[in-house]
Amino acid sequence: MVYGIERILFTSFVGLVMLGALFVAKDWPIRASIIIFLLGGVGVVLALIQLIIDFKAARVKEAKVQRPTFEVEALQHQGRWGSLEIWAWLWGLFFAVHLIGMPIALPLFVFLYVKLYGGRWATALILTAGTWGFLYGIYDHLLHVPWPKPWLAFLLPS
Amino acid sequence: MFEAAIEGLVGVLQPEAFAFMCLGVLIGSLVGFLPGIGGPSTLAIMLPFVMTMKDPLLVIALLVGMDAVGNTASAFTSILISVPGSSGSQATILDGHPMAKNGEAARALSASFVASLLGGIFGALVLFASLPMLRPLVLSFSSPEFFILTLWGVSMVGILSGNAPIKGLLAGILGVFISTIGLDMKSGIERFSFNFSYFWEGIDLVLVALGMFAIPEVIDLAGRKGTIAKAEEFGSGYVQGILDCFRHWWLLLRTSIIGVWVGFLPGLGSSVADWFAYAHAVQTEKNRENFGKGDVRGVIASEGCNNAKEGGDYIPTLAFGIPGGTSSALVLTAFIAVGIKPGPDMLTSQLNLTFAVIWTLVIANIIATAICMIFAKPIAKVCFMPFYAIVPPVVAFVFIGAFAANFHTYDLTALMIFSSLGFFMRRYGWPRAPLVLGMVLGDKMELYLWLSYTRYGLEWLARPMVIVLILLLIASIVYPIVTARRNKRDAETTLAEA
Repeated sequence: MVYGIERILFTSFVGLVMLGALFVAKDWPIRASIIIFLLGGVGVVLALIQLIIDFKAARVKEAKVQRPTFEVEALQHQGRWGSLEIWAWLWGLFFAVHLIGMPIALPLFVFLYVKLYGGRWATALILTAGTWGFLYGIYDHLLHVPWPKPWLAFLLPS
Repeated sequence: MFEAAIEGLVGVLQPEAFAFMCLGVLIGSLVGFLPGIGGPSTLAIMLPFVMTMKDPLLVIALLVGMDAVGNTASAFTSILISVPGSSGSQATILDGHPMAKNGEAARALSASFVASLLGGIFGALVLFASLPMLRPLVLSFSSPEFFILTLWGVSMVGILSGNAPIKGLLAGILGVFISTIGLDMKSGIERFSFNFSYFWEGIDLVLVALGMFAIPEVIDLAGRKGTIAKAEEFGSGYVQGILDCFRHWWLLLRTSIIGVWVGFLPGLGSSVADWFAYAHAVQTEKNRENFGKGDVRGVIASEGCNNAKEGGDYIPTLAFGIPGGTSSALVLTAFIAVGIKPGPDMLTSQLNLTFAVIWTLVIANIIATAICMIFAKPIAKVCFMPFYAIVPPVVAFVFIGAFAANFHTYDLTALMIFSSLGFFMRRYGWPRAPLVLGMVLGDKMELYLWLSYTRYGLEWLARPMVIVLILLLIASIVYPIVTARRNKRDAETTLAEA
């Protein structure tokens, strides 16, 4: 039932995006809004139909997610924490990139992930070195990518 | 003509030109193998260098060699780690990666390489053969026909999303909406940017593709805490994959034709071609239930098509000076800079250079396939590494690739947002492919719709070719639904009789 409600909420979200797009575009000139009105109108109707389908499915039974032909299998939550563990890593990396900068955050992330999940020192060091080498070799040395200044650089006295 | 063909072949086989071609193939393969570093950006980086070269043959060998093979090597990452190495190998993931999970990585890779080779050679052959024939057809197309074609593309992928056609269509519309984000140059209106300057340039397709496909797959792998391949073997189907291509020669030929056609149409790139081909395979092949679960036909369709597209791409580029896509636009820029004049000259005074392009497409594909086949097994071992050795480098790749989109930290924010969207779409059974295709075709669709409206009012709907295309569009929407209902009814009848 919970899963059915989740699906309804997601479909509602998509429908609201369609409605929101139509609302925002209503004051634009026709050149800028023609495609939004054409497809958005169709989208709202389709979202309503999908919502009805989701409601029916939720009421009948805990329906198995239909696997689209173009898609791989639908993700199922696994383990005690489901996908929260990897999401925590991803968001942690995201904030680390901002805090200490990409050239340090990415190799550090690679090293910590490998070590905390039981990888050997050699594996951790090789992968970390590879990531660092890729970052510096291609992006820093060859392409001269302008890395953004990390937050820590603003906080710490120079 | 025969003399020009020989002259072109001798030209590209000269030691210097051949060395440049090999260099181009290596760079193209490397770029294809590295997710997030697109072919167009590499071509753009090479432009200042090649423009200083005097010999047009060397420029052809380097740039066409590089451009021709990007999609061959990109199958590695699509199949092994579900991260498209290039935009032309996105559809390969759908069956290639499940094959790797099922322990058939070798079969999937060899099938993809051979399909790429044959598709690439087919595209090169068509490049020359079709020049005199196709010109009148393309010139007869105008904005209304192109609009219907783009609409057809999005709806075809959406409606073919198996049991979820409405979700597929909605995802396609969402993709079109995302493509409209940014400053509309024609009206000067900021669309969905909410006074946020980062949105003015629009959302980069790389960010959406990485968020939609790479991160959800990483989440899956990290959640399972195993290896990519469920079966603990590389698979012995290396020869089987090669034979598969010949066994499904009719599918390969059809999807190669689709690739050439999509390449030939200006503005539609690899990312469209492989989805079209995949959709065609799903729509027309028998025993479709395995598509998406690891059917080698899905790999053959996608990979044969994306390499054949390169040949088609050069038809309008060389014949009319109208580049078929971003890559060919950059190649065209370099051509003009070194004195190659696209247009009628390419069929008369510079015919040897046209043949040089064709031979380069053929030879580069052979070299790239040989390299990939030789190194497939060592690279495929990545399938059997534990998750902790795969997840962090892939995440690092994804973050670097996302950051490389605009070199802005907001790119990472956008990546996280689209990763969340991709995760929820996958969790609730929403197809993600139509969203990406809608984004690819969105701006073209809008432009063609507006041009049609301003030029013809509503009269464009009565154009004969538009009517034909609309009928085809309706048929492609109705046919799968009717077929699905008929199959369901037949199944119910069979059950009742049993």
